[in-house]
Amino acid sequence: MDKPSYNTDIVRSFINWSIVWGLVAVLVGVIVSFQMIAPDLQLPPWLTFGRLRPLHTNAGIYGWGVGTIFAMFLYIVQRLCKTPLWSPGLAKFQLWFFNATIIAAAVTLLLGYTTSKEYHELEWPIDIMVVILWVSFAINIIMTIIKRKEEQMYISLWYMMAAIIGVAILYLVNSAAVPASLFKSYSAYAGTNDANVHWWFAHNAVAMALTAPPLAMFYYFLPKSTGVPIYSHRLSIIAFWSLIFMYLWTGAHHLLWTPVPDWIQTLAMAFSVMLIAPSWGSVINGYLSMNGQWHQMRENYLVKFLILGITFYGLQTLQGPMQSIRTFSAFIHYTDWVPGHIHMGTLGWVSLIGFAGIYYLVPRVYGKELYSVPLANLHFWLVLIGQLIFSVSLWIAGVLQAGMWNAMNDDGSLTYTFMETMVEMYPYWSARAFGGVIYLVGVLVFIYNLVMTVKKGSDPSPALVEAEGRA
Amino acid sequence: MDLASILYLGVTFGLFAIFAAIVFRTYRRKNKDRNESAKYSMLDDDE
Repeated sequence: MDKPSYNTDIVRSFINWSIVWGLVAVLVGVIVSFQMIAPDLQLPPWLTFGRLRPLHTNAGIYGWGVGTIFAMFLYIVQRLCKTPLWSPGLAKFQLWFFNATIIAAAVTLLLGYTTSKEYHELEWPIDIMVVILWVSFAINIIMTIIKRKEEQMYISLWYMMAAIIGVAILYLVNSAAVPASLFKSYSAYAGTNDANVHWWFAHNAVAMALTAPPLAMFYYFLPKSTGVPIYSHRLSIIAFWSLIFMYLWTGAHHLLWTPVPDWIQTLAMAFSVMLIAPSWGSVINGYLSMNGQWHQMRENYLVKFLILGITFYGLQTLQGPMQSIRTFSAFIHYTDWVPGHIHMGTLGWVSLIGFAGIYYLVPRVYGKELYSVPLANLHFWLVLIGQLIFSVSLWIAGVLQAGMWNAMNDDGSLTYTFMETMVEMYPYWSARAFGGVIYLVGVLVFIYNLVMTVKKGSDPSPALVEAEGRA
Repeated sequence: MDLASILYLGVTFGLFAIFAAIVFRTYRRKNKDRNESAKYSMLDDDE
């Protein structure tokens, strides 16, 4: 059978742009972390915490996260289906529309236009752009899968399809709004219904944008990097379907102790705990795939990123269900514990898998050897240490904060004022900013290594290309 | 139990039945080779 001619240009472009937006996300994240400890750094009106924070989350999730998803999916789908992309023209349109959407999002957020819904701040015209963008992406991927030359569908394709369909449903339902002007709209839902729909969206966006795609990448890049197959394809299928069946019920665990009906909260809590099983199905599958290959953790920089990534996924999916239990939530919710949790997922799980994927792809799509493996290892340690300092300091801060908020005197009055609890946070916020700076340095090392790979990387021999991932 | 509750319960059991069928089909002995074959094709040269 003739080898198909795969489209790599579009993969290159998406890699480059996702890195640009990833750098913006981390840079803005570091700036807002310093604004927390030095409020004078606020530069009103555009560069205040209230406007930069959604820019940070949107650049991270939609610029870096989704940009990486586009790059990886467009690469992986062609290989797993053994057929070229259905429409390179549509993919090119998707690239430019992606950047136009992210720029429009950044500008409007800095100008203060927001729906005020966390993780869905974009106003209705940009919502429409997001929908057009996603539909063009979905058509291309689904059509490529339909005309595939490979009968068996590897597990990564299942996760990719779930992500494409899931994000579409979630975004459309939560976007329902009544426009009042060009940049102002009101949600189609009211009160607790609005909150319930929104957190159904927000938590399942984590599922469909920040869990299913990294799992698709993990299952693809792990065997490609180690040279051995995953432990069990059947286990991956069961973990996939149980994740799909369980995840969609869990959103209301963000609304424990609120006016949302009690049974919805209980349902969300129960399904959140049950979700440990499918999550750990993938984690265990990853670990067992390393049987007899653990020496590669020392020798292969790609495996370090992938295995630490899946480890953070495992930790994240234990901590998350724990937080969804009513009693624990009552203590920890609204404290700094929560951003510590979120950043273990984004900086640890999602980004480590994204870095691994990009390290795997860049030498292949540019036809160059990686400029420096030691720099890749340095990048690994910097982002790992930066993320751990970030998350651990906020977990400690969260417990301290919760303890102080709950402390009562004998007469029932609060022991501490809110301002006293804020002052206690400063050392931990400083540690968080320090961790963020280390992470940022790691990202700069990553970018330098990639730029040098493209500029000065040597042309690899076929044997080196094959061995590169295991070097 | 009102009609809404019965429908809700029905959907829940329906989803559970679908999931059980997927597990049965995936782990059925005669489907083992077919369901595991995809992981070996990952070792083929992509390019």
